[in-house]
Amino acid sequence: MNRSWDSLETFENFLDSGGIVEPVDEMPTEYRQAVFDFIEMHANSELMGGLTERDWIPRAPGLRHKMSVIAKTQDEIGHAHLLYMVAADLQIKTRQEMMRDLFAGKSKFHNVFHYRAKTWGDQVAIAFLVDAAALVSQQAVFKNCSYGPYKRILKRIIAEEGFHLRFGEESVLRIAEGTQIQRSMFQSSINDWWWPALQLFGPDSKPNDLLLRWHIKSERNEVLRDRWIQKFVPLLQGYGFTIPDPDLRWNKEENRWEIGPIDWEPLKRTLAMGGPDSARRISEASESWEKSSWVREALEKVAT
Amino acid sequence: MRVYEVFLKPDGKEEFRHAGSIEAATDELALVLARENYARRAEGTHMWLVNRENICVSEEGFIDSNLDKPHRHNDGERVARWRKLQRNKKNNE
Repeated sequence: MNRSWDSLETFENFLDSGGIVEPVDEMPTEYRQAVFDFIEMHANSELMGGLTERDWIPRAPGLRHKMSVIAKTQDEIGHAHLLYMVAADLQIKTRQEMMRDLFAGKSKFHNVFHYRAKTWGDQVAIAFLVDAAALVSQQAVFKNCSYGPYKRILKRIIAEEGFHLRFGEESVLRIAEGTQIQRSMFQSSINDWWWPALQLFGPDSKPNDLLLRWHIKSERNEVLRDRWIQKFVPLLQGYGFTIPDPDLRWNKEENRWEIGPIDWEPLKRTLAMGGPDSARRISEASESWEKSSWVREALEKVAT
Repeated sequence: MRVYEVFLKPDGKEEFRHAGSIEAATDELALVLARENYARRAEGTHMWLVNRENICVSEEGFIDSNLDKPHRHNDGERVARWRKLQRNKKNNE
């Protein structure tokens, strides 16, 4: 181990030939930073997602759903744990520094967690549409990721997200089989969450995208987004719901769904921490971190 | 706080495998945290935790000297050739 490369070019050749980078390697600074930023954002998103999930434990409809939400919350917080470990090993920020930056609004997390989940329908829309969008991107990273520890930990995360997706679809089915009130509640959740979920993939990848060049991601944003659209348009329609896109049409020649133009302004606002629920989310996360400080202090005291 | 490497072993034939790492205050707490983070769905029946500081790591190139020792392998070519020859002889008889 402790490999080093004499130039960025030889490093890129190593990556192109399928090379896997390990934390002890002397990787180029730019690569280290890019991998770190990517994993930190993923970790932050798992934590923020887990906290949203937690809010629904007392309000989940029925014991079965409540138990699933508890398991999901533990999974998401667990994923954050694992990812913060992997990120910290890159030695750019400690776990504490990552927490500090998250609560100061200085580091990013996924756009979808800048919105408020107001009803159980919203929570189901998140479990179905958003978790699936995250899973589609994670699978694409996992397939060909050049950073070893991230690739390995993604395997576990993806397996668990699979459970979440099944829970999401089961919840959709139960609402679809429910009353007219339940169905219209979920339709309005789809109206609210369709575009944010679709924007999670980001705008089309630029030709010189470093994450692609360094095999951190393996597929372009627009390809992943389209894969998700092709899957979820027929699924939601199959359950009898409509997609909030007046320009949505079936292209008979190409055998695929085409959507209308995407407004990227909402995504930009969330990236600047100016989403509809950004401020409340961050301050709530920070508050719950503060409230649990006595646990960390007690642990420090018994630390050997 | 210490960092521990987590190893899990599924039931039966499989060997222990590295699962990831965990930060904890004591050995006892590390075991609990590792169980809750890495083994929530029967990923293993046995678990090892190793304090990262206690891992011996080889220097770069230390094991490379063993890469080029063909005499430690036997490709079985010579015997295979002889057997083939015998088979052909027999078939021709």
